Amino acid sequence: MKKVASLNQLDEKALIDKLIEGDAAAFEFVVDRYHSIMLSVARAIIGEAFADEVVQDAWVSAIKALPRFEGRASLKTWLLQITSNGAKTRLRRESRQLSLDDGWQAEPDYKFDQRGHRIDDVLPWNIDTPDALLENEQLRQVIETTYQKLPPQQRAVLTMADMEGLEMKEICNILDISASNARVLLHRARTALHHSIEKYQES
Amino acid sequence: MFECKDVAEEASNYLDGDLPLGKRVGLFLHLVYCSCCRRYLQQIRQTISTVNILRPQEQHDTDTQALAEKLRMLSKTES
Repeated sequence: MKKVASLNQLDEKALIDKLIEGDAAAFEFVVDRYHSIMLSVARAIIGEAFADEVVQDAWVSAIKALPRFEGRASLKTWLLQITSNGAKTRLRRESRQLSLDDGWQAEPDYKFDQRGHRIDDVLPWNIDTPDALLENEQLRQVIETTYQKLPPQQRAVLTMADMEGLEMKEICNILDISASNARVLLHRARTALHHSIEKYQES
Repeated sequence: MFECKDVAEEASNYLDGDLPLGKRVGLFLHLVYCSCCRRYLQQIRQTISTVNILRPQEQHDTDTQALAEKLRMLSKTES
């Protein structure tokens, strides 16, 4: 654990040098750190069936190309781009403009009157800070389960935007979707998580 | 006029600063008199912070330690 923490503080150049040297802890660190998000991207692009294979191939390509990594993008963005390229190649050319006009609503109609006003109050949460939310083991489970049940594209956008802090432009590039699609996916993912927390608090 | 339903639809765009000026002002004015929507936006904010801290992971069966070792061996043969 201590080793991982210290690797976390290394700058990226030093980490890459360690990988090139063949440092086992450095390999464990990067796989542990990036495997899940690479899988998220692959699943968003080609779905569950080939995602594992695409990610394994992306790792192999990345390791082979590592000595030529120039650091123009962060290691994370570079890995995600390799994953994305692999997934897209696998998928061949297909329009990635998603049809999102499917009647999705942030909140169901029955919560609003005809004029669009809320009928009931939005209740305050009993547990109302992120730290307190996380201290509740059951609630953590609820959030994790909801996250894992999100459609892959929502999960990938949420992961990159809200967990990894990638720019919208990078996310659109990696997933090959428009900015408006990405924003809609992000809002749907956040709304789903909000609903699950809300439901838990009400129960 | 912005109504609660519009706030629910545009919450992320508002929080991320992606809302055009006209809509941003409309939503802001709605928030001035609607405590429900203020609470709703606050809860969306908390949802985002919570996910950011919790960092849920993709479910997978990959043995990441074995993968790391495989890649390390590969890098040796490459160099």
